[in-house]
Amino acid sequence: MTFRALWIISHDKGRNATTRFSRRFSTVEHRAKRMAGSSYVAVPEDSVVLQLLLIELGLSDPDKPYVALRDDCLNRPRPPFLELRVDASGKELLWPVLALLQGPLILACLPLVDVPPEPRPPLATLLSVSQGLTFLAGLQTFLLGSGSKPDGEGLASRLGMLPSVLLQVCPLGTPLDVPLPGPPATPTAPASGGIQKQPAWKTGLHRGRATVSVALLETVRSMQYGNRSRQDLWDVYGRVTCKCEVEGVLPNVTVTLSLPPNGSPLQDILVHPCVTSLDSSVLTASSVENCDSSAFSGPYKFPFSPPIEPFRLCCYTSQVPVPPILGLYQLKEEENQLHVTATLKLHESVKNSFDYCEAHLPFFNRNLMGGVDVKVSSGQLDVSKEKNRLVWTLGQKFPKSRECTLEGRISFTGQTSGPSDPLCANLTAYIKLYFKVPDMTLSGCCVDQHSVQVYSSAKPRIVTTRELQSKEYFIWNSTGSAPVSSAPMMM
Amino acid sequence: VCNLHKDSWFLTFFCFFFFTMDAVKGRIWPPGLKFDTCGLNSCDVLLLTPLIEHPSLLCGCGGEGETSLELMSVFSQCPPKWFQLRSQLLVALTSVLVCSSSRASQDFVELLLGVVQDPGDLSGDQGVYCVRVTAWECLRELESCCPGLLTQHLELLAGLRQRESGRGHQGAVLLFALTLRNAVYHLTQDPHAGAENLRALLGANTSVAWEADQDLRTCSGSDALHSVVRGPMGSVPTLQTGPDCKELRGVVSSLLEESYLLTPLSQAALLHRLTELVAMVTAVSPALFRAQLLRLMGTFEVSLLHSTLLLKAAFTDSLFSAEDELFFLRRLLVLSQHPLLSSAHKLFYIHCVLRFPENRPISFSDDGLPVLLTPQLASVLVPTVFNDGSTLLHRLHLLSLVHLEEGEDSEESQGVAFLYQLLTALLHMVESGATTDLTVTFFRACFLFLLHFLSVERCLANLMQRLAQLYLRHAHLAQHLINLVDRVQDRLPESDWGIGLLTALQEVIVQAPPTQFSSHLKVLSRVAEEEVIPQQKTLHFLFNVVRSASSSACGRDNWRLGNEVLVVCRRLLVHGHLDRLLVPLGDILHHMTCHYGDTDIRDHARLYHALLTTLSRDKLAGVLTEGGTHVKKQTLCCLMAESEGLTRALTVHQVEGPVLRLTFSDPSFSSSFPLTFRLLHVATPTPGFDRLYSVRLHFRLTDRHYESLSDVSVPCLFRERPPPTLTLTLKPRHALPTTLYVSALFSTEDGLTWLRPLPDLHITFRQTLLPVPVPPALRLQVWEGLWEEFEGGGGMVSLFCCQLEEACLQALIQEHFLPFLVSEVSQQEVKVLHFLSPRSHVLLKLHPQEDAVHFHIATDTAQLLPYVNAYLRTITSRGHTPSSQDHAHSSQDHAHS
Repeated sequence: MTFRALWIISHDKGRNATTRFSRRFSTVEHRAKRMAGSSYVAVPEDSVVLQLLLIELGLSDPDKPYVALRDDCLNRPRPPFLELRVDASGKELLWPVLALLQGPLILACLPLVDVPPEPRPPLATLLSVSQGLTFLAGLQTFLLGSGSKPDGEGLASRLGMLPSVLLQVCPLGTPLDVPLPGPPATPTAPASGGIQKQPAWKTGLHRGRATVSVALLETVRSMQYGNRSRQDLWDVYGRVTCKCEVEGVLPNVTVTLSLPPNGSPLQDILVHPCVTSLDSSVLTASSVENCDSSAFSGPYKFPFSPPIEPFRLCCYTSQVPVPPILGLYQLKEEENQLHVTATLKLHESVKNSFDYCEAHLPFFNRNLMGGVDVKVSSGQLDVSKEKNRLVWTLGQKFPKSRECTLEGRISFTGQTSGPSDPLCANLTAYIKLYFKVPDMTLSGCCVDQHSVQVYSSAKPRIVTTRELQSKEYFIWNSTGSAPVSSAPMMM
Repeated sequence: VCNLHKDSWFLTFFCFFFFTMDAVKGRIWPPGLKFDTCGLNSCDVLLLTPLIEHPSLLCGCGGEGETSLELMSVFSQCPPKWFQLRSQLLVALTSVLVCSSSRASQDFVELLLGVVQDPGDLSGDQGVYCVRVTAWECLRELESCCPGLLTQHLELLAGLRQRESGRGHQGAVLLFALTLRNAVYHLTQDPHAGAENLRALLGANTSVAWEADQDLRTCSGSDALHSVVRGPMGSVPTLQTGPDCKELRGVVSSLLEESYLLTPLSQAALLHRLTELVAMVTAVSPALFRAQLLRLMGTFEVSLLHSTLLLKAAFTDSLFSAEDELFFLRRLLVLSQHPLLSSAHKLFYIHCVLRFPENRPISFSDDGLPVLLTPQLASVLVPTVFNDGSTLLHRLHLLSLVHLEEGEDSEESQGVAFLYQLLTALLHMVESGATTDLTVTFFRACFLFLLHFLSVERCLANLMQRLAQLYLRHAHLAQHLINLVDRVQDRLPESDWGIGLLTALQEVIVQAPPTQFSSHLKVLSRVAEEEVIPQQKTLHFLFNVVRSASSSACGRDNWRLGNEVLVVCRRLLVHGHLDRLLVPLGDILHHMTCHYGDTDIRDHARLYHALLTTLSRDKLAGVLTEGGTHVKKQTLCCLMAESEGLTRALTVHQVEGPVLRLTFSDPSFSSSFPLTFRLLHVATPTPGFDRLYSVRLHFRLTDRHYESLSDVSVPCLFRERPPPTLTLTLKPRHALPTTLYVSALFSTEDGLTWLRPLPDLHITFRQTLLPVPVPPALRLQVWEGLWEEFEGGGGMVSLFCCQLEEACLQALIQEHFLPFLVSEVSQQEVKVLHFLSPRSHVLLKLHPQEDAVHFHIATDTAQLLPYVNAYLRTITSRGHTPSSQDHAHSSQDHAHS
């Protein structure tokens, strides 16, 4: 439940690595020494830790094709759970080191092993490991924001705040909370009086008009092969984000998700820890077993007491019978040219009104495009600036027939070779779809304004939104060998 | 501080300590002065950090008592509004006292208890509140480090827990639970303790139950520090109390009810403490936790779910029915591949699935999968090529275990077939030129597969052939393949798969076109280690290599190649079936002795030939086996008396420290390829390396932008003589910046040969710029022609702007653009033409405007644009702005095709 040390390292793909911040927790180290006895391994200097981390993460010597220490095939795949070989003989191992890699940052910590160290206990028996993961993930959000690319100055100022932030959330190596994103606020003293205690995770109280916003975002992923021998795949997952500005120390709010009649049950529901109670039927449907059509299909009630900041109330997955856009992509090699045809068909259940809809056709492992003679039945076709992809902008609407096509020839006569990708050799190629549909979900799941209940005196303003977006939506060329993305039903 | 040498720490400590104290005190006294509290706080927070991180180093020799008294006095005089400093002082005191087990600890505990009891500050003063929260945490750490320290204060803590709210409440709850747990643990160690003692502990009457350790110094033994919940193998110390344990049950359930108010991390910690507590007192039923279970299993907080898993490990079927167990496992499987979780979290859940604490475990072995994990359930974790390396290998490991359990019919198993299919998909990607990362992942996946499915012969034979074919196309994978063979032979000594792969590699090498000798010879020298592999083909190949190398006119790389051949020969000289190889090996060595282009190689070959023809096998092995001390010297003939010395002289040694370096002879500008540079010793001499002979510099490319480079020889290099100037001819394929690895082989006066990598040689963008190779009179014409072409769509144009004064611009042109100018400097527009071998151009048009200088850029090679941009950025920002401090330069660039 405790860390011995913490490091923050910045690097540029393994080059120019520097330790930007490090903290050792001396009292925890003192405990570690007493608990480990003769098998105690001291934490080496930061510069040594830095080098060892780079080796274990496969980042050292980025230009060398083979480095024995780094590339030995015996080294089990460990990230984010590493062991650092502190001495040359490999006998002194610093374990378990947790390391998260995000963009230019490596965040690492060394959890305390609070069970006898010999024989080595499984990771799953150390509570400090999961605490480390949570803490590092929180630290990552604090340092980088929600995006992965920080600006140098923002990062530097965040690192500058870190000593004061750690004093609040982890003064002696035991994490009490994750660093809160946003400017560091000194915790305000809890409101005194009243019977209710203020929760430790609530940093302040809201005063003023009560507002509850609930946003439902569904994401659809797909792999379509256009090939009878291979099953197309798609899945849908949703997340419900809330921002509740409600007065009171522990106000009660209930949000209810409901499905249309015949909607397939929401599966794999995960909830925020502020949800006070759950009905067992909410958790029964799971994607890892065969779906039972008679299973509980809502309404799903989530009573909770909200924190002051926006939070993810719950997430779920859903099995929908058809993908929203069905595509077919075919490439044919014709002397020095590539013959391209593509068809996209919007399913009738999907609202034909997009925020945006774009199809990208990248071409890897070829020269840059020379002549492009491609026609589309709808939308607009552009050649990207780098001349290695076609961008088909479908805009806000599919045509009335809900189907559009692309056909033509491309010659790759550019002098220089385009980008390479080991996956997309020969005729292995894909269309990637990017789209967003406002005010709809594929599962049919929705949050009715009237179903949001707030138990407080003032009548709150309630805002609910929903939208559908695509992610990793691939349509593979049916004449090439597409990579398998999931197991066949093997058993 | 920890980097300092032991002798100097004492001095550092005093300097630092008094500096800290003075700094802190100086700001507190005199009282009349006002400070910016924010600045003061963060600064002093940092000042105390070294003391917090390395207390035993800074106050190890009896200084801790003084330090802690000093810190406590600072704390007491510090005004409440400097709460950050006050908090940090408490943390520093905790660190100093825990690490030194000082006598002052009791005073400090009193101080902390005073802070948390202070009734005057519940009104909501934020500063006081912050310090109180820290004090709770300090007390918790003291109790953690010294279990039992606060047992006598349990009642007080229980009372304060009721009073506190928010983070203070959290601190109080955590401390109370820990203290209670430690107290109960202490009771379990006493065979006479029972229900009475427990009741006394919870009722106010501690003196009956307890003779407490009241000082940090007396705390000993580490057992109490360990968690008592250790999975199926651990046994939990228990306290026999009889059936009635109402008080404890009440306390535990009230703590559980309040747990909702804690942050998820603290909730998980509390839950774990309570798990330990209930596990130790058998009379309290674990059913107490049941009310929390649904909430805990539905959460997406990894630590909360993890503490639930530990709850399961502790109580198994007394809390989780078989149905619950299956539900929990399914939940873990869902989480281990949930699209909204980060990959680190998902990997952790895979670990949890692998070590799932079952109600009725069948085995305790390392790889004992839970029985409930059927192949059907595990199929959601099937690895694919879209996974990142770590995920792919974790999943492959898990799936391999699952299918391994399918039993003897794994030959027919679809699951295994699917995993093998994944392996071949990866192999395809490596074949079409994968990154290093993916290549390493592929070889690790191969190794994992081999480790588990050595009996699936069909796949293994196929894999062997495909790897050999892969090598044929990508000879640079030699070391990966050798490593794979080494590891397979280490871990699976009974298998002959490694031998099979080496034989297959030998087969493809001897049939391969005569290139990439270096990799081939590396593999063949590994093949030569195997006694069961016939070496005739290797010898045949060596003979061809030697013959073609001796006959080729250019001596390029001959020394290196010769050495690589000799390495194989040397391995063959100690081969078990040397008698069958005698004649062909002798022929090769003889041929090298007579015809090889390099004298040094001829010498070595002659020696090997002499050894081969004159020594018996045992002696040969004695001479050539590195450090072959097991052969007694007395049994060797006089020639062999110095066998170790001979081995030493025949070996290339690695130099530990730097000896040589390269510097460009004109570091500011090198106008043309070839590049010239000087080779000189490093500034600090290494004894024995001042006079070097036959230095051979080997350059290795890091990318494919340049043609490979030949070695450069320097006959001798003496520290006292002026350094020689060398020329390196770079032939670019694409003139882009690059890095070259350089290594030097050289001999020293004692006749030993040494190898040492030199610092990498960086070829910057600037060094790749050349004047266009046409007569100066025609250059303007060329510039205009190219400009028109590039602007008309045949290339890329871009714009770079920055603020530069006229004088600076002129200086910039003089310094950087003079050799490339095609127009007069005096003109309004300055035109610059760079040529980058072999066929790229970068054209610049400098156009001073009112507010900024515009650098119009045109080029035929789009990849160069970022470098041009960086180059312009560097030269315009470096030293050409006379008032660079207040003259901020702004730059922007637009690129449009």
